[in-house]
Amino acid sequence: MTMAENKFLKEAIKQGLRMQHRFLAEPVLARTGKGYMKSEGVATLQRIKANLKRSKSA
Amino acid sequence: MAGLVKNWLQIVPWETVVSINATLCEARKALHKPTSDGYAPAKALWEKSRSRKLSLPEVFQIGYECHRLAPFCNYNGNTFVAIIKTLLDDTLKGLPADKAHILRSIAGHIVAGTATDIERKQLDSILAVLEK
Repeated sequence: MTMAENKFLKEAIKQGLRMQHRFLAEPVLARTGKGYMKSEGVATLQRIKANLKRSKSA
Repeated sequence: MAGLVKNWLQIVPWETVVSINATLCEARKALHKPTSDGYAPAKALWEKSRSRKLSLPEVFQIGYECHRLAPFCNYNGNTFVAIIKTLLDDTLKGLPADKAHILRSIAGHIVAGTATDIERKQLDSILAVLEK
């Protein structure tokens, strides 16, 4: 495995663990044709927008 | 934005996909095991796509197809969504944070199989801006 591949692997695992609570373990999409991913809500986007607004006005 | 069509999956050999799924399953004490019907076709699709130059919608579609084929017993969705979102990280660094968040979110929903028509249209318009 190259260094870049190894770095990617670590980042992807971090990403996957961070959002694991939003998924069901079982293969829902394969069985039903409809996937499952719990909504993250709008809080993150609101926080990002507020930060952008703050940095623009500063 | 240049570089939207490229060998997106080159950096992700199939062994990496397997390792990610193994780690995610281990974290939740779920069984990590290949499925008898989905593993081989998903691996073949992934490996074939690794050598191809792909647009972002094609990358999302391959993630979705592999998710639908369910190569593993558990956490297929999380595995492929995590891969596609991580692939986007470098590309989105030049975008405003809110636009990057929206694109990452839509990509995740497409791969997870939960994207709405509105999100698909939104993706088209964001990509059109990126490609200018």
